[in-house]
Amino acid sequence: MATFSLLVTANPHSSQGQFSAIQFAKSLLSIGHELKRVFFYGDGVLVASRLNHPPSDEYNLTKSWAKLAIEHDFELVACVTVAMKRGITNAVEADRNALTGDNLDPAFEISGLGQLTEAMLESDRLITFG
Amino acid sequence: MKTLYILNKPSLLSQCQSAMSADDGIILVEDAVVIAAQDKANTDYYVLEEDLIARGLTPKDDWNIKDYEGFVELTLAYDKTVSWL
Amino acid sequence: MSKSLSIIFNKAPYGLQSGRELLDIALMAAAFDMDIKALFIEDGVYQLLDNQQPDVLYMKNHSPTFKALDLYGIETRLIAEHDLDERGITQEQLLPVAETTSQETIKQVISESDFVFML
Repeated sequence: MATFSLLVTANPHSSQGQFSAIQFAKSLLSIGHELKRVFFYGDGVLVASRLNHPPSDEYNLTKSWAKLAIEHDFELVACVTVAMKRGITNAVEADRNALTGDNLDPAFEISGLGQLTEAMLESDRLITFG
Repeated sequence: MKTLYILNKPSLLSQCQSAMSADDGIILVEDAVVIAAQDKANTDYYVLEEDLIARGLTPKDDWNIKDYEGFVELTLAYDKTVSWL
Repeated sequence: MSKSLSIIFNKAPYGLQSGRELLDIALMAAAFDMDIKALFIEDGVYQLLDNQQPDVLYMKNHSPTFKALDLYGIETRLIAEHDLDERGITQEQLLPVAETTSQETIKQVISESDFVFML
């Protein structure tokens, strides 16, 4: 059994990368490997908004990541700098920056880039989906 | 270190190849699977089955086809991966 | 032994934010005492031109941060000489932050790294 972490930079609305990443995550879990953390960076953080609302006949990546993470106990972390820039915020950061609302899905957390470095050092493989 | 390159854009194939060393491998994913529908197969070259099926493509030659589980195991058969973006 | 990380810049600046985002990853990983190498290849060599003025586009100039790489202990900073020549760029036009090397050396550095990032 190996431990994986993923770095996801693909835009969830305009490219395939997030779909590839979640498929890879499901597959590694189904054959008994462990997933430690999925770190979202660049446009990848856009998936962390609980306000993402695709048409009902389309796959909801935000909800799917959330469900998978809860079932398999791994972390979904969005980089704070790039998330704030793109209007993805939790209540604490919204308050600190005098923003009027928050939209981070409760299954996700926002944190620093150090979480990426740590995931890299503590996993057997770090796979990038851009 | 044996490296598995992950390529998702067909336009970056030659750039990626110029970074590869002798023992390295490459797996074509997403739009890059069109390469397998056009070109000859190569040792240490793999193509992701689900991305072929999604696009209604058939490899032109005797390509090494991996499904997602095979892709996961392939990343462990190499020392590291590089997603060539 | 500390783990090694190669950061590959292969795109010209400003069309995408990848150069800036890679720089942030490099600086953070350096704080974790990783052995970081910055590689400039293909159109990534344009990242180092010394007369960038993205302020005309209201965009932030991230190129001064390349001068901070040394300060962060990122000692290996290599430019693919072939890619520079191919684009008709001389080293005098670049920020004095990296040295030119062969394609073979770049390949070797990538091969020997524990991790490699591109964006």
